[in-house]
Amino acid sequence: MEGKPYSRRLQDLEERFEQLEPLIPEGYEKEAISVLHGIVQELWRSLHSGGGAPSTDGPTLADIAELHRRAPPMEGEAHSTPLPVGARAPDITLQDGNGHRVSLHDFRGRPVILVFYPLDWSPSCSDQLSLYQAESGEFDKYAAQLLAVSVDSIYSHGAWAAVRGLSFPLLADFQPKGEVARRYQVWRPKEGFCERALYVVDKDGMIRYSYVSPKLDQVPDIYELYRVLDSLQAPVRGAPEVAGRK
Amino acid sequence: MNAVPISQTGHDVPHGGRRPARAIAPAVIYGTGWCAATQGVRRHLDRRGVPYHYVDIEKDPAAAARLRWMTGGSLSHPTVSVAGEVLVEPSLSEVDWALSRAGLI
Repeated sequence: MEGKPYSRRLQDLEERFEQLEPLIPEGYEKEAISVLHGIVQELWRSLHSGGGAPSTDGPTLADIAELHRRAPPMEGEAHSTPLPVGARAPDITLQDGNGHRVSLHDFRGRPVILVFYPLDWSPSCSDQLSLYQAESGEFDKYAAQLLAVSVDSIYSHGAWAAVRGLSFPLLADFQPKGEVARRYQVWRPKEGFCERALYVVDKDGMIRYSYVSPKLDQVPDIYELYRVLDSLQAPVRGAPEVAGRK
Repeated sequence: MNAVPISQTGHDVPHGGRRPARAIAPAVIYGTGWCAATQGVRRHLDRRGVPYHYVDIEKDPAAAARLRWMTGGSLSHPTVSVAGEVLVEPSLSEVDWALSRAGLI
C-alpha cells in the first residue's frame, strides 16, 4: 500500500539509521547517537499525541487507569503445580464486584476461561484483564465465559472494573482468603495472593488446560489460549472471521 | 479456525538490507510472548487486518540490539515501528494514528 510521501522519507531515513548501527564502534559516541535518535522519535511522537498541559483539576479517570504503569513491580517465580488436565474442575461460588454470587456450575454447557491473577490495580494484571476485555467478542464466538479470580474485595473489584471498563465477572476470593486459589493449587501463602494462572474448563466441567505463569509478571499467551479453545469446539458457524486469525 | 495468525511468522524483520523502500513496509512489533501489552497490540492489528512482523526480542538478540539502538537504549515492550516512527509502549490510539499517517489503515 502506498503511504504518504513524508512517511516514505521517514522510513528511508529510519532504515538508513538501522543500517549504520553495526558500522559504528561501541562506546559513548554510539550511545549518544542512539539517545539522540530516541529523543527525536519521542519529540515527533509528542507532536501527534495531543499532549497539552496537564490538568490542574486533579487526576482524571484515565490517570487512575494508568496508575499501574508507575506502581511497584510484581515479581517472583512460580512455585505451584496446577491441577492436571483431565481432572474435574472444583466448583466455586464467589461474589463478583456487584455483589452477585457466581458459580462455576452456572456456566455448565459452555467453556469457561478461569483466570487467577494476583491483585487488582497491579502492573501486569491491569494489562492482562484489559487484553481479555478486548477479546470479549472473540470469546463469544466460542460461547466461552471468562471468570477472573483474585483475593481482592468486591469493592475493589467493582472500582477496578469501572475504571478499566471490564465487563466480565471479577470474583472475590476474599473470605476465607484464597480458599479457591488453594483448591486450584495456585495459592502463594507467603505473599497472600495467588499465582498468575489460567484454566480452561470444558462444557462438562473438566479441566482441559492448566497453566501457571513461570514468573508473576508474565501473562499467558493469548494465542495459546485460542489454540485450546479451537481444540474444544469450532466457533459459531457463520461468525465473522477475525483478521489475522484464520 | 487456525489459531496461528498470518502475522505470527515473526523473526523476518526487514533490517540491515539494501531493500529499496519505495513502498511503506509492514509495521513491526517488538515484544515478548508473555507481555500483555504486546499481545494487546498484536491482537489489535489482527482485528484491523493490518499485516505486521512480530519479533520476540527474547528469541532474537540481534533484533533486541537493533531495538536498543533505535530507542536510545530501551528494550521496553511493546515497541512498534511504523514507517519510520518508533513508538515505545504506545497506546492503541497512537498505533492507529501512526498506521493512518503511513496510509496503512
